[in-house]
Amino acid sequence: MPLHILIVLVVGGIAGIALLTWAFGLSKPLRFMTEAQARDAWLRHWPEDRIAMIHLAPDGSAALIETDQGPGTVFPMGADSCAHRLENAEIRETPGGLRILFHDFGAPRLDVPLPPAARAQWRQILSETP
Amino acid sequence: MTDQLTYPDVVQWAVPFFIAAILIELLWIVLKGRGGRYETRDAVTSLIMGAGNVASGIALGFIAWGFFMWLWTLTPLDLGNAWWVVALCFVLDDLRYYWVHRFGHRIRWVWASHVNHHSSQHYNLTTALRQTWTYTFTFMMVVRAPLILLGFHPAMVLFVGGLNLIYQFWIHTEAIGKLPRWVEAVMNTPSHHRVHHGRNARYLDCNYAGVFIIWDRIFGTFVPEMEEERVDYGLVHNLGTFNPLRVAFHEWVGIFKDMTGRGLTLRERLMYAVAPPGWSHDGSRQTSEGIKASHLQRHPEDRGTPGFE
Repeated sequence: MPLHILIVLVVGGIAGIALLTWAFGLSKPLRFMTEAQARDAWLRHWPEDRIAMIHLAPDGSAALIETDQGPGTVFPMGADSCAHRLENAEIRETPGGLRILFHDFGAPRLDVPLPPAARAQWRQILSETP
Repeated sequence: MTDQLTYPDVVQWAVPFFIAAILIELLWIVLKGRGGRYETRDAVTSLIMGAGNVASGIALGFIAWGFFMWLWTLTPLDLGNAWWVVALCFVLDDLRYYWVHRFGHRIRWVWASHVNHHSSQHYNLTTALRQTWTYTFTFMMVVRAPLILLGFHPAMVLFVGGLNLIYQFWIHTEAIGKLPRWVEAVMNTPSHHRVHHGRNARYLDCNYAGVFIIWDRIFGTFVPEMEEERVDYGLVHNLGTFNPLRVAFHEWVGIFKDMTGRGLTLRERLMYAVAPPGWSHDGSRQTSEGIKASHLQRHPEDRGTPGFE
């Protein structure tokens, strides 16, 4: 197949499929509306953990999970989720919340919108973790 | 010798069919409200990975081609290009695919290339196109060497490999349930391949087939899709990014970090490259065997059932 036709097909195909999925409402990210939802998402990735506490971000865009293996965070990946331990993570404050740098090439960072009170609570929990 | 044998690049010619089939599957799912899931960023990442795979084939394909043509100069055998030779080549190449695919799940160096195909938490026709950019660096082209030395022309070997890839496209769907028993017995099907994409402990490291599922049945790696355990798609530890560059290279970066860690013996460094994914020098991670064993500790009732035999 001539290269220019292949390029047009590939670029047009990707753009068209992206547009259609968006138009069909398939771009809405997952939100954790309940602790049970966040718990299930965590245990899906770390089934052997015992969960002590769950702290939902107010907008449901992440949850801080306290487990017997240390803290972690679970967050949406599109319509699905990713759960990451925080043992090597670096936490930075941003104007709207916290930025978590996982130091993991496959999960670079997470921005969690948090009001000041929740931000302080998350920071305190993370600083108490050995 | 048939030095000038040529075949069309069937994968490139299949691109319009791929796009049309994805559109049909997407519309089917939206209209019927069943048969799978689509999500914009996941689909776009998969499609960009597919485009990158074609691009890497154009950019790096000369390496494998040069190797194959060198082998072709060495062999005294030439089976010609009769239809039955092409058919035989297709079947033997599918056996080659089975072993390359099995190596791809059991040797971390090869997994680093193949992992991105499993990195979607969705299972639809775009997932089929989420293909590697780094296959050349796995050196798995050597597994094709016996075919060429047996007298199958390199162009024919690549042609049937392309047909194999096209066959595997349509089985990446939840829109098709189980097929008639004889089909499920012989061919790789959407049901068998859904299992292969599962991250459930039961479904890890099984159903490596490309076209014919008989290879898994022969070599003892077949696990059926079970109604009582829905397949959970993706990686044991799912990625936290849709960035195609990170998807393509994350496991290579992981290997590099592990191999260059402090205080390791030479053997341990090597094992981080060639041992099964999840191997670690201090036992802090789990391979698929470890994951299955942990599952059985929590669910002893599953012992002896498919995937835990």
